[in-house]
Amino acid sequence: MKLVGLVGTNATHSTNRQLLQYMQRHFANQSTLTICEIADLPAFNEPADRTVPAAVQELSDKIEAADGVIFATPEYDHSIPAALKSAIEWLSYTTRPLINKPVLIVGASNGALGTSRAQAHLRQILEAPELKALIVPNVSFMLGHSLQAFDEQGALIDQAKVGELDNAFNAFVNFVTLADKLLPSSQFFNQTKQFSWKQITDGED
Amino acid sequence: MKLIGIAGTNAAHSFNRQLLTFMQRHFESQAEIELLSLDDVPLFNESNDQSDSPVIQRFNQKIEAADGVIIATPEHNHSIPSALKSILEWLSFKLHPLDGKPVMIVGAAYSVQGSSRAQLHLRQILDAPGVNAIVMPGSEFLLGRAQDAFDDQGNLKVSGTVDFLDSCFAKFQKFARIAAELNVPDAVSYQPGTYDVTAVGHNGELPMAVTLSKDRIEKIDIDTSTETEGIADVAFERIPKEIIDGQTLAVDAISGASITSNGVINGVAQAIKQAGANPDALKKQRTTAKTTEPAVHEITTDVAIVGAGGAGLTAAAKVLQAGKRALVLEKFPSVGGNTVRAGGPMNAADPDWQSQFDAIPGEKHTLQALASIDEATIDPEYLADFQQLKAEIKRYLEQTDGQTGYLFDSKLLHRIQTYLGGKRRDLKGHKIYGQYDLVKELTDNALDSVKWLESIGVQFDKSQVTMPVGAIWRRGHKPMGDLGFAYIKTLKKFVNDNGGTIMTETDVQQLTTSDGQITGVLANGPQGEEVVVHAKAVILASGGFAANTKMLQRYNTYWTAIDDDIKTTNSPAMTGDGIKLGTRVGADLVGMGFSQMMPVSDPETGELFSGLQVPPQNYVMVNQQGRRFVNEYGSRDELTQAAIDNGSLFYLIADDEIKKTAYNTTQEKIDQQVAAGTLFRADSLADLAKQIKMDPAALEQTIADYNRYVDAGDDPEFHKNAFDLKVQVAPFYATPRKPATHHTMGGLKIDTGARVLNAGGQTINGLYAAGEVAGGIHAGNRLGGNSLADIFTFGRIAAESALTDRVSED
Ligand SMILES: Cc1cc2nc3c(=O)[nH]c(=O)nc-3n(C[C@H](O)[C@H](O)[C@H](O)COP(=O)(O)OP(=O)(O)OC[C@H]3O[C@@H](n4cnc5c(N)ncnc54)[C@H](O)[C@@H]3O)c2cc1C
Ligand SMILES: Cc1cc2nc3c(=O)[nH]c(=O)nc-3n(C[C@H](O)[C@H](O)[C@H](O)COP(=O)(O)O)c2cc1C
Ligand SMILES: Cc1cc2nc3c(=O)[nH]c(=O)nc-3n(C[C@H](O)[C@H](O)[C@H](O)COP(=O)(O)O)c2cc1C
Repeated sequence: MKLVGLVGTNATHSTNRQLLQYMQRHFANQSTLTICEIADLPAFNEPADRTVPAAVQELSDKIEAADGVIFATPEYDHSIPAALKSAIEWLSYTTRPLINKPVLIVGASNGALGTSRAQAHLRQILEAPELKALIVPNVSFMLGHSLQAFDEQGALIDQAKVGELDNAFNAFVNFVTLADKLLPSSQFFNQTKQFSWKQITDGED
Repeated sequence: MKLIGIAGTNAAHSFNRQLLTFMQRHFESQAEIELLSLDDVPLFNESNDQSDSPVIQRFNQKIEAADGVIIATPEHNHSIPSALKSILEWLSFKLHPLDGKPVMIVGAAYSVQGSSRAQLHLRQILDAPGVNAIVMPGSEFLLGRAQDAFDDQGNLKVSGTVDFLDSCFAKFQKFARIAAELNVPDAVSYQPGTYDVTAVGHNGELPMAVTLSKDRIEKIDIDTSTETEGIADVAFERIPKEIIDGQTLAVDAISGASITSNGVINGVAQAIKQAGANPDALKKQRTTAKTTEPAVHEITTDVAIVGAGGAGLTAAAKVLQAGKRALVLEKFPSVGGNTVRAGGPMNAADPDWQSQFDAIPGEKHTLQALASIDEATIDPEYLADFQQLKAEIKRYLEQTDGQTGYLFDSKLLHRIQTYLGGKRRDLKGHKIYGQYDLVKELTDNALDSVKWLESIGVQFDKSQVTMPVGAIWRRGHKPMGDLGFAYIKTLKKFVNDNGGTIMTETDVQQLTTSDGQITGVLANGPQGEEVVVHAKAVILASGGFAANTKMLQRYNTYWTAIDDDIKTTNSPAMTGDGIKLGTRVGADLVGMGFSQMMPVSDPETGELFSGLQVPPQNYVMVNQQGRRFVNEYGSRDELTQAAIDNGSLFYLIADDEIKKTAYNTTQEKIDQQVAAGTLFRADSLADLAKQIKMDPAALEQTIADYNRYVDAGDDPEFHKNAFDLKVQVAPFYATPRKPATHHTMGGLKIDTGARVLNAGGQTINGLYAAGEVAGGIHAGNRLGGNSLADIFTFGRIAAESALTDRVSED
């Protein structure tokens, strides 16, 4: 199974990156997880001509080619970081590779709650009509106190957490396998690819 | 009422902007609404703090000064746009202008629901502790189908909508007034008196006496003796003053001295608490933000010097001695850079002085070993010197045969040791060693540097010749007093007393050129003002890049790995700025792949002086599996590479007897560190192993083996050169250690006159470099004590060249 893991921050040091790196190794026999960064994407600015910046296209191609996407998000001010939001805006505004793409949301933060509020926002965001990702229902993984969570080799220290992550990941793998069958017809797919807020509300859709 | 309006988008066209523009006009008679644009706001990045940039500062100051804020948010993907999220992150990171600020949310969108979901998210975001705005409840103004809502004059078409907006706005004005009352700080009242408190500084305890009257912080006396002179001073000068001037604890820590700064703030907080008041109230009270609009400050000088470390201040002093003008620009609040952190002794061969001391056992042997090196292994430039040195050594050994003999030294020995000490191969097999002409220049002039320093007031302790750690030979001239600060203190005074100018908190950003000539620099001053310097010559003396991990990793060709989270022994200022400034005007680089690590550093702070630092004969180093992995007597780079190969983190194991040989600590500090979890202690090796998550049996076996080797005087596993104590008396200790970055040998390519060269080997007119910013001398490994020799020698040379090439002619 080919998966893409998206590091939801542009910070140099990130426990979310560490979490994905750990998942990459830990689940190596079940999947190849390609880790993608958003640090080099430009800031979203709604260009009138909808030109896709090269870095966005590259990310989009990787997502397009994957069987599923794992978002690892920090929590900044009770929501997802602006940098991740910007990346999502690019994808929704230009290539829309997330439509019907199976998605798992995980997150690590230094606080006790481990990104619960950011994850709730991210779910709502990814369900917006121009994104329409297939988020695995009832499954998520939250890692609190993330600065203390990994050992020197980058492995999760708390075995209970490892168990939780295993469960979440297995549920996601099953979901990805099932998702094929859930997918609506390709016609709908094409329609939504051209979705525009202006069109819907102007009744052009 | 003064309000700030923010349209939450950076798009060229925005209905939300249109809505705010309408409100601005429509409510003109009731309130002054100023709109701030998100266009130039950079995307928030935790690793690239731009809180001090003019754009973010503008938001900060305008919001601080306003009575309230109106945010008009579009909805992007069911949430707020990243552009709006980004400014809110900047305003919740280092700055918090929205704290306690009344906010009204409005929104316009294409869909009928308007921006309802985005508005809900925005409420939750504004409520996060870092933002902490007070959002007006209810009165959700949603403008659906925004594309049809405005007429050609930009007015809202539907009168019912306008009426609702009017009522929302009226309510907000009331709300803002009530919120303002909430924000009036509770009057603080203290039980008057002088409170003796003890804060925690960088080097341990920081006793303070804080005098409070009924309603004021009157006086802050601090016993500054334990903190590091030259580093902590600025904090002691500024923090108490800012606290008293502003009657606030909301003062920013000083970069480079943040631990001391926070110590002082916490000490005052303790006193306030003892006096019956709540220090948190003073942490919220902010002094008014810097409001001066950034200005341009233009200065003309003869020689501009970038960096007020050892090399920079030396160059400035030399320029002043020639009767010319010198301007030193320093990006940190205090001068001294890495030079104040240095151990103190500088290398210079001074046979007349050294020969007054007896040789010590082993030194003659070292000379013999050196003289018997196969000449075929000596690189051709150094061969003649090597042969001459051999003759000197032969003569000395004959002369002192059968006697203890005196301490031998010569310029040639210093030169050959610098060359051999720096000779290394990188991972790709490329060999590097110090460039002959530069090494010759250094070793020929080092003693003159000592004499020159004496002439301006640095006093050296002539009663002993020291060998700095990692120096190979006893030729260290040790200044009296405070290690590296001894030089800086004197140099700074000399520069100030002789009409030089040192501008601190002035960060050089760019070199200016005209017709292939360097004409000056552009810098950012303390208040964000632009500083434009016109100079006949510029000397880069900005130090190395050991505090810039990204840059180290990018250039590294020597270490198999440099961890992302590696720490440094350096000042955080050492980010390679001078190297970047130079390369942007075409400078060539040399030896950039080689950096020096300090193997036994604190894994959290990079410092040397935590835990138990004992003499190497008492070191027992074990990896995370509890096994020894290296000859503890190895050189810095052998220990470092072995540590990297073993996952970087390792432990120094000690018992109660070995503990007594630690030269860096006291029982009190040890107890503090054990309590803080940065040092481990247990009554048995097995318990110690459990604390540091290693297999108890493995550690016990390792120590049993080690103790046997000590008894036998032979270590068949790693061939440790010398032993002293066994590990046997409880309690046992484990000090966690990790290599930290220490020195960068590579840098700008210079000639013997410290002129910066381009890739074609030509000089870049008007540009000079001295100190750690320059490369070519220490090559693969810098000897202890050679850097100080380097900075004072090439600092002087750079000034002399600048004067003869560029200043004296007119
Ligand atoms: C802990 C420690 C111990 C050491 N011990 C020894 C020792 O015992 N013997 C020895 O020989 N060497 C020692 N060294 C090495 C030696 O201290 C340094 O190599 C040497 O001090 C470098 O001097 P410098 O003048 O080149 O730079 P620094 O003294 O580091 O000064 C550079 C200055 O430039 C400023 N600067 C940087 N960028 C800018 C900019 N853009 N604009 C304006 N200013 C800027 C910095 O803030 C800094 O003040 C030690 C180093 C460390 C870290
Ligand atoms: C601007 C900003 C706001 C933050 N807000 C929150 C927050 O609301 N909740 C939280 O748990 N952590 C918050 N944090 C801390 C982050 O949890 C922490 O930096 C990050 O989530 C850890 O993930 P990372 O290691 O991948 O960067 C905030 C950090 C920043 C820089
Ligand atoms: C990337 C993107 C995502 C959007 N998502 C939404 C949305 O979730 N809901 C919505 O009503 N409009 C959405 N829109 C349309 C915007 O809401 C519309 O541009 C905005 O509401 C109009 O306000 P403005 O002119 O101030 O930008 C989206 C637009 C972009 C560019």
